[in-house]
Amino acid sequence: MSTQPPRGLQVAALSLCIAGLLVSAYLTYEHFTASTTLACPDTGAINCAKVTTSDYSNVAGIPVALLGLLFFAGMTLLCTPPLWHQHSPWPGRARLAAVTVGLLFVFYLVWAELFRINAICLWCTVVHALTLLLFAVLAVVQALAPTAVDERIGAGR
Amino acid sequence: MSSRSDRKVSAREHAAQLRAAQLRAERRRRLLSAGAAVAVVVAVIAGLIIAKLAGAGASTPSAASGLASSQVMTAVTSVPAATLNKIGVGSAQGGPQHITAPALTQAGKPKVLYVGAEYCPFCAAERWPVVVALSRFGTFTNLGVTSSAGNDVYPNTPTLSFHGATYSSQYLSFTGVETTSNKLVNGNYAPLDTLTPADQQTFTTYDQPPYVTGQGGSIPFIDIAGKYVSSGATYSPQLLQGLTQAQVAAQLKNPSSQIAQAVDGSANLFTAALCQATGNKPGNVCTAPGVTAAAAQLAKG
Repeated sequence: MSTQPPRGLQVAALSLCIAGLLVSAYLTYEHFTASTTLACPDTGAINCAKVTTSDYSNVAGIPVALLGLLFFAGMTLLCTPPLWHQHSPWPGRARLAAVTVGLLFVFYLVWAELFRINAICLWCTVVHALTLLLFAVLAVVQALAPTAVDERIGAGR
Repeated sequence: MSSRSDRKVSAREHAAQLRAAQLRAERRRRLLSAGAAVAVVVAVIAGLIIAKLAGAGASTPSAASGLASSQVMTAVTSVPAATLNKIGVGSAQGGPQHITAPALTQAGKPKVLYVGAEYCPFCAAERWPVVVALSRFGTFTNLGVTSSAGNDVYPNTPTLSFHGATYSSQYLSFTGVETTSNKLVNGNYAPLDTLTPADQQTFTTYDQPPYVTGQGGSIPFIDIAGKYVSSGATYSPQLLQGLTQAQVAAQLKNPSSQIAQAVDGSANLFTAALCQATGNKPGNVCTAPGVTAAAAQLAKG
């Protein structure tokens, strides 16, 4: 029995990570280079500037965009081909644990956008959607991965 | 002998089929668990959105609005000339930018168009210098007092409101538009004033780069007779945090106050731009040292 998940899922996970990395890189660049204007963007509920300049754009002094960039950089590393080919269960567990933490952070950020900032940033929403999709792909990958139970069944014990 | 061997093979095949079925069942169980986890995630996100749409995110109530007291009106519309002259540009940043555009007029007079919203903390900050400056050219009646939204940055910044106010001047005409209030209704700030098609055209055209710096469509936006435009505030609303309208107004006559340095400095910048629109009338205002200092600053760009 193959110990690796289907190649399609590997490619999907890596693609989602790279897409998340690119969008997070853009948001991080914007965070550090955008001039702070003393103005209210008059564009209603879809308002990236209001979100990315709000009190919720930093956690413990660290820009959320930078946290997103680090998250996707780490996930990209964990989803590279050499780590899919490992026989150890730990890369898979690390992937699932990391994406679960990322997902919990997405819940917090969506809550902040909806109930505290009262605005939605479309770029941030893209990152949230990519995290959710990555969680779904990695959950399926983990479900398909062979376990000790499989080995016992295979050995007829 | 052959029959015994067949039975052994058959038993092995049966055991293998059983193991394969068990493996498939185990895998199916784990896939269902993964599907359930994804469904929970989607349900949480959907729940947040539904709760928002249902109005569960009631905002922090904003302070009550009303007409400005005579004490506030007097303090804002009668800042001593000596204070304004001493401050000059003060700590104000930016200010109106010169543009080349058709003249903006109303009733034969240069027109000043202000577009803002009561929820907006930067509009809250900017109304103070705008009122101080315009009061040197004319008279406001029915100016309101309000505060920015309680759930935005710089919450509850104390301010004035142009909603329902009128302005009369022999030099200028003024239109102050507050597009929304500071109160959320079904997740959006309640609408207040509506721009006329002409004012909307001015706002749409000139509240954009290259006429203004930063993001186009931002508020507060001020067009001074088609000669100058300003987008955004000239100082941080942080300066006004925790104060009442009366406390802010009372600071404006004190040249050593940080608030006066920002508000009066900005008012001098707006006054200098207004003087460009009125042909330097009235003379006593437009030749005041604080205004000429601000005019020099505007000329530098």
